[in-house]
Amino acid sequence: MRCLRAAILVMALIAAASSAEAQSLAIIHAQAWTGQSAQPIDDATILVERGKIVSVVQHAPAPRDARVIDAAGHPVTAGLVNAATQLGLTEISSVRDTHDQAATGETVGAGFDVSLGLNANSELVSLARADGVTRALSFPNVSGQAPFSGLAAVIRLRGSDILDKARVALFVTIGGGAWPTHAGARSAQWQLLRAAFDDAKQPPPASPRPASREAQITALREVLSGHIPLAIVTHRESDIRQAIRLASDYTIHVVVVGGAEAWRAAPELAAAHIPVVLDPDANLPYTFDQLGNRQTNAVILAKAGVMIAFGLAGGRLEQNYNAGLALREGAGIAVSNGLPYLEALKAVTVNPIAVWRPGEAAGLIAAGQDADLVIWDGDPFEPTSNTTTIIVEGKPVLTDTRMDALARRYLPNAK
Amino acid sequence: MKTGYRQLARCRRGLLGLALMATGFAGSAMAAPTPPWLDDPFPSTYRPPAGPDLVIRRATVLDGSGHRLDDADILTHAGKIVSIGHQLHVPAGTREIDGRGRWVTPGVIDIHSHDGVYVLPLTDIDKEASDVAELSDPNAADTRVETAINPQDVAFSRALEHGVTTIQILPGSSPIFSGRSVVVHPIRVNTVAEMKLAGAPQGFKMACGEGPKEQDAEAHKGPTSRQGEVAFIRATFLDAQDYLRDWRAHAAGKGHAPKRDLKREALAGILAGDLHIHMHCYRADDMATMMSVAKEFGIRVTAFHHAVEAYKIPQLLKANGTCAAVWAGWWGYKMEAQDAIRANAALLDRDGVCVTMHSDSPSEGQRLNLEAARAAGAARRLGISVPPEQMIRWITSNPAKAMGLGDRLGTLAPGYDADIVLWSSEPFSVYSHADLVVIDGAAVFDRSRAPSEPVSDFELGRRAMQP
Repeated sequence: MRCLRAAILVMALIAAASSAEAQSLAIIHAQAWTGQSAQPIDDATILVERGKIVSVVQHAPAPRDARVIDAAGHPVTAGLVNAATQLGLTEISSVRDTHDQAATGETVGAGFDVSLGLNANSELVSLARADGVTRALSFPNVSGQAPFSGLAAVIRLRGSDILDKARVALFVTIGGGAWPTHAGARSAQWQLLRAAFDDAKQPPPASPRPASREAQITALREVLSGHIPLAIVTHRESDIRQAIRLASDYTIHVVVVGGAEAWRAAPELAAAHIPVVLDPDANLPYTFDQLGNRQTNAVILAKAGVMIAFGLAGGRLEQNYNAGLALREGAGIAVSNGLPYLEALKAVTVNPIAVWRPGEAAGLIAAGQDADLVIWDGDPFEPTSNTTTIIVEGKPVLTDTRMDALARRYLPNAK
Repeated sequence: MKTGYRQLARCRRGLLGLALMATGFAGSAMAAPTPPWLDDPFPSTYRPPAGPDLVIRRATVLDGSGHRLDDADILTHAGKIVSIGHQLHVPAGTREIDGRGRWVTPGVIDIHSHDGVYVLPLTDIDKEASDVAELSDPNAADTRVETAINPQDVAFSRALEHGVTTIQILPGSSPIFSGRSVVVHPIRVNTVAEMKLAGAPQGFKMACGEGPKEQDAEAHKGPTSRQGEVAFIRATFLDAQDYLRDWRAHAAGKGHAPKRDLKREALAGILAGDLHIHMHCYRADDMATMMSVAKEFGIRVTAFHHAVEAYKIPQLLKANGTCAAVWAGWWGYKMEAQDAIRANAALLDRDGVCVTMHSDSPSEGQRLNLEAARAAGAARRLGISVPPEQMIRWITSNPAKAMGLGDRLGTLAPGYDADIVLWSSEPFSVYSHADLVVIDGAAVFDRSRAPSEPVSDFELGRRAMQP
């Protein structure tokens, strides 16, 4: 019944929050994993006002008028950020009519904007939040216009509007699998991609283009202007090297997503300042593109100076259904394979912000940062650990899930 | 000697079988012939790897059956566990291993795997013609998954490196009668016979619910609804009853042996209780229906696999003596998986249901310890505490019991097979590594002596796959 008690507590806190919007919130006795140093600040007081962190001070008393949450020495981290999911876009993978992650028609292509279809009431979203995720990237799958997938959004896991920022990156998918719908060969994919950028560089034609075509050109131009990155979902070493070349030829920001064999081009990726979003758990050759999957991928890349962020964690099923649990467990697996704890923590907090929300003050526990915070009952990377309090935009949110409700209903049977 | 024991064990089982048959056919003076379903045309050629006897000193030992011993030693001899205790005296020549700060458990057992038939990398060929299951007929009772297993699947070495010492490989669940399973040790060999455990009870895979009906609807053959599946199962068993009756008459000296028929004889073997049913079912109502069908034919479902709603019917499962093989993490991806809860295993265990974690995938198959940890973590969220010595049962002694191997595997006790894992720390921590994996007393994986080249031939010589 522990979670019921927690739920009641949180409801009380939420009620208090709405009655005194401007009141400050103090988390006391926190073991604060700030994301800025390898060791936590013990007995930290984290002061929050108007959705932002105001101060983080060791052994400090809470201000007299602040609402107080006692972390009782437990770990507190910034809200986790999953760098690659389809949260809010998919519900039941075997049921096609619950899918909104891909535009199958041939007209939308690069202009497909997932932000119009986000479902805040998704059970996948509430479970991810209960597991400590407060922000995530939701990206589209390959569209009817290969290699384009469309425009990804960052979501913030709060109330009924979870859109944080739309159109944060243009996604394309390069590589093997499903060739008939993927342009037939990877060379064709790269050629189509380059041709699309070349087209988008041309001055607009005298007669107006169809709106759907205009939407594609707009998306491509946002990349060409450096406004948003081109996210390339790809795995094979040859494609990663092509991605580096593309970034240089068009002077655009590129992010590699997947990157099973990125470790084989680590120095080149570092030199080109190309971040890699990867599944820290992957160690199996799922396809011939992913022969090089290994759990030391993150370690090798980080050591070479590549910015890494964790996403797609746990593979095709878990990346969405356990977008929180698989993410933090994956971070633990990376640590157990040699990644320093701080680097792993950054890969699930501040680094995904740097990749998808550059310039946003979020992902750290420090003054001026977004007050998205999680209190844990143990090491967040351990599967036996749970969240106890989740704060989004400075306010505690409900952590109750449908799983909790089911478990509570059937607990009496367990006598 | 090791082989001597195995022969004895096999004889004992054989004798037991004969004794049972004799009671069934009282009055017959002749020894009953072996029924065709117990024929094994693919006998095991497994030989335990050679190695010195081992003693692991001063480790935290979880015996797999609910006990924890701190600062304890464990000694093996000739492939068996000889003793567990404090400051054991050991014969000269025993390899000494310092277990201080480390944990010892039985080898992890995966009761549900498709390793060797769902071989990575997957290709276009797998979409049309996978070796996971035979799809030409919803009744594939004549198939044996062991005739399809590729021992070069990298999943085997990955599982072993993560502490898994025994795996039941099942055919996939698209056919309703999916075929026979096989139990293997995931060691590096070139033929499945060399991995196959001798003397393991014969498992048989069946499936209910969404999987088969969707396959059948797609293939335009076989039942396309739950009620159709149940009718199909009953009709098929009714037909197999005839075969069993004919065989029993023949065994009693009345009439000819029925004509060999690979499907009907396997099904008769199920009805005779010799082939143990491992049934893929998600929903509580599906499981209840299948237990009724089993009762109708005087048989028992050994275990429901993927039983995501098992927590809703613990008493029914207990009353039927049926185990539940579950995940902690997988949920939601299809209609019948909507009501999955992570604490399933913990709630079932609390209720006294025989429960085991299972993998169903080569990635989950490497971290059954973490699956158990997930279930315990979810239970903690509900205010239920599960200590490590209880959790370990979900991946050792319970699957062993469910596979009919509970007297031989899954527990660290004198006389048991010496399948042992030495973990770098508490085995349910994400940071823990299997430092040493022992099968039948021999160290088959030693993390401190990581091989300089890959284990599987598939990986060998491929640039992106070098260690």
